[in-house]
Amino acid sequence: MKNSLRASLLIALAAVAAPHAQSTAVQSRTKTQVETLAADKFEGRLTGSPGEKLAADYIISELKRIGAKPLPGLTDFRMPFTFTAGSKDGGTTMTITRDAGGAQTFTGAAIVQALSFSDTVEATGRVVFAGYGLVVPEAQNFGYDSYAGLEVKDKIVVVFRYFPEDADQKTRAILARYADLRYKAQAARQRGAKGMIVITGPNSPNAGTVVPMSFDTAIAGSGIAAASVSGDAFAPIMAAAGKSLGAVQKEFDSGNPHVAGFAIPGITVTLKTNVIRQQQTGNNVVAYLPATTPLTGVVKPWVAVGAHYDHLGRGTTGGSLAGKEEANAIHHGADDNASGTATVLAIGEALSTQPRKRHLLIALWSGEELGLLGSAAFVAKPPVPLDALAGYLNFDMVGRVADNKLTVQATGTSAMWPKLLEQANIAAGFDLVLQEDPYQPTDVGSFNTASVACLTFFTGAHQEYHRPSDTADKINYEDLVRVGELASGVIKRLMDSPEAPLFTKVEQKTETGGRAGLRLFTGTIPDYASDVKGLLLGGVIGGGPAEQAGLAKGDVVIEIAGQSITNIYDYTFALELLKIGQPAKVLYMRGSEKRETSLTPAARK
Amino acid sequence: MPDVLTKRVFAAVSLCSAAVFLSAAVPVATQAPTGERTFLSRVRRLTVEGKRAGEGYWSPDGKRLVFQSERDPANPFYQIFVLDFATGDTKRVSPGMGKTTCAFFRPGSDEIMFGSTHLDPKSLQYQKDELDFRASGKERRYAWDYDPEMDIFAYSEKTGAMKQLTTAKGYDAEGGYSPDGQWIVFSSMRDAYNRTLSPAEQKQLTLDASFFAEVYIMKADGTEQKRLTDWAGYDGGTFFTKDGRIVWRHFEENGLIANVWTMKPDGTDKRQITDFAAMSWAPYEHPSGEYFVFASNKLGFENFEVFMVDKAGIKEPVQITHTPGFDGLPVPSPDGTQMAFTSARAGGPGSAGQIYLAQWNHEAAMAALKAAPPRKANTK
Repeated sequence: MKNSLRASLLIALAAVAAPHAQSTAVQSRTKTQVETLAADKFEGRLTGSPGEKLAADYIISELKRIGAKPLPGLTDFRMPFTFTAGSKDGGTTMTITRDAGGAQTFTGAAIVQALSFSDTVEATGRVVFAGYGLVVPEAQNFGYDSYAGLEVKDKIVVVFRYFPEDADQKTRAILARYADLRYKAQAARQRGAKGMIVITGPNSPNAGTVVPMSFDTAIAGSGIAAASVSGDAFAPIMAAAGKSLGAVQKEFDSGNPHVAGFAIPGITVTLKTNVIRQQQTGNNVVAYLPATTPLTGVVKPWVAVGAHYDHLGRGTTGGSLAGKEEANAIHHGADDNASGTATVLAIGEALSTQPRKRHLLIALWSGEELGLLGSAAFVAKPPVPLDALAGYLNFDMVGRVADNKLTVQATGTSAMWPKLLEQANIAAGFDLVLQEDPYQPTDVGSFNTASVACLTFFTGAHQEYHRPSDTADKINYEDLVRVGELASGVIKRLMDSPEAPLFTKVEQKTETGGRAGLRLFTGTIPDYASDVKGLLLGGVIGGGPAEQAGLAKGDVVIEIAGQSITNIYDYTFALELLKIGQPAKVLYMRGSEKRETSLTPAARK
Repeated sequence: MPDVLTKRVFAAVSLCSAAVFLSAAVPVATQAPTGERTFLSRVRRLTVEGKRAGEGYWSPDGKRLVFQSERDPANPFYQIFVLDFATGDTKRVSPGMGKTTCAFFRPGSDEIMFGSTHLDPKSLQYQKDELDFRASGKERRYAWDYDPEMDIFAYSEKTGAMKQLTTAKGYDAEGGYSPDGQWIVFSSMRDAYNRTLSPAEQKQLTLDASFFAEVYIMKADGTEQKRLTDWAGYDGGTFFTKDGRIVWRHFEENGLIANVWTMKPDGTDKRQITDFAAMSWAPYEHPSGEYFVFASNKLGFENFEVFMVDKAGIKEPVQITHTPGFDGLPVPSPDGTQMAFTSARAGGPGSAGQIYLAQWNHEAAMAALKAAPPRKANTK
């Protein structure tokens, strides 16, 4: 029996040897593509940069090689879109004019600075202090409105940055969601205010300093003059009010909704904001392989595949998790997302030689790292009607297969996906983990929003995520090629299917709300691919608070500061409750052992 | 058979709701449980579609797998599907109506055997009731009901004809063919219906019908049906071994302890293979004929793992899987190089249990069995 067993083993090995040669050729091509895209020459492929353009040229040459063409009616593979690449203050001023006579003007970046989303405009008015400037929508049934009883029409409102520092956890948890400055500006504008001045109170982190001009990709302003001022520049306003800023903040910090704002007598403020937005152009690269048989009677005659090819450049515009010693270095983005780009090219190449009953649209997006800009521009002005798309398959970070595991997300967008995945995976052989949720931070989100049945493939977060060290030598090429094989199998079946997948809308689990939690830095890298109960850490940032607390990759956080954590949403929510510099108790599992530690969040600048 | 058993376990112990079971089936770090890699490599998920799937049994040539799965939107119960490894395609081979379970390819034939209730005129009503219940959003303990209308059928893949092999009132299922395809060994609860029960037995029947399950044998055409066991407690999960014996698992009367046994096809020479003081069930022989793989909750009531034991049961069983939650129903491929099993390890959609496939390291298994300590005696 042993012998016969061995014989059958040999036969089994012989059977896999044949396709192996073919997949070796694909593997070497894929490796070349990833190495090319991740090379220093492309400078981290920042959207709108020369590196991005070089990468687009390279991708176009590969698309031409496999015989793909520009979309019908187009002559170019590039599909440009415009975005705001950055904003800077062009000399904002604040003038305080006393009724009794005399005026004082403040200017200078550290003293008065426009918020990045401010209009460039002049606004003059009397001043109303509106506390933290928070408005919780009535639907939340919570009852917190900083503007209750205040008349702010044509006024300049003053608000504190952040949210009440001393409120109980529940109150903080709710208010934190509406503490984003954009949301505060919107609330002020809706009530008729002409301008908004933000002051960082003495009891808050970054006390008395202006808000840095954050990266904001919006093309238009927010319809209001909005600026933050330093504690010194704000002092004359408080003098007019006859109060101490610290004492005022202390009152609002209680979170008591009955602490009312007040008008400040005796002064008029003129805010002249000046925001210079740098408009730039990014390039999606889009091609197609036409169907090889007539499309007569074919329902939804397109199938689309896509991956973003842009990355973070040198990490200077946000999103970088580089440590101090690697700051400003080229972020190579081999896994994120040269891996997905190469996979899409491999799928195109594989299907280019096969009969196709539908067109294959091949999209390589730019602007993903800046907020899904490229794919959003595509679905906003689709060159192919979106209801002609049978489905969209997305690949973002697929080069780190470990232990044969592959996560497929957004499976809830059609009942057809599990069947197609099951059939295609018989040959591909992955240990699939399915997640129905399509609200993922990648381009699949643009298509889900556009009601297109979609999937996105992912092999998990890791230590090198959004760091210069995400390099081509760390990619698992053997399994990366298999991701393409699995997806090609799904697409082939989808192309051959007489029906198209019916789109199912998946309800969003939790509203994402404000981003006040971002003021905290914990140095954790959540593993978004995990379905573990709790928060599985894909890694921790070197030297960050999590590492100092002894947390490590593979740990599962189950409780923070008394808040139990069952998923990433709970985690984000719990972070909003933490205070900078104040130790929080963290319970976590290391293997089957329950451990406790104390983590002290740092301030995010 | 096996999957059936977990349901029974949770029906028997009121503490344990199915919901508890599912939440306990917490998947899984991204890192491999290293212990498992001693024997299993390239673990992968085989079934994806539907709420749950299980009981995957190989065709004699190893090219296909027959299994049960809840994947038809119109029928909330298990139906039988055949998966083709070459094409990746899956087709339903059962009637689509009613409940089915425990399929098996007949060697040297185009027939596939399984248990089915499709002849019960009430089966469509049961489907509707279950669908309405699920649509209501309510939850209840998941329980296999040992439908007394379940009979064994042989389906011809060539003609599509269904041949009824058993007719007795009472659950007939959990069948396996002999290697020559001429005999079927199966489990039946007919003993609860073919005579007048005492009041105590009547009460037992309403509490747990499986108590009456005994092992039977018949010819492949359904003739010469003969009872082989006569013990209190659930006897089932029956298969022929390479050397012409029968392997099955016997439950003690309390319904909590089960062990692997073998006997001759005439019901003589019954030998206890495990004495593991746990619920040890779903035994299947490795084609080398050297050992049995089976499932046991030795490490925790809800934590079933796959184990193996030497053919004579001289040694203590050796643990194979190391993943929290359910791992069970192991079935090696005919060439002995792979193993199909059912696991709740994935989490997410369909996490109630799906079929997995892994490469099997027979040499490592033989070495581990050799190194295992002698069997402890737990039986009084």
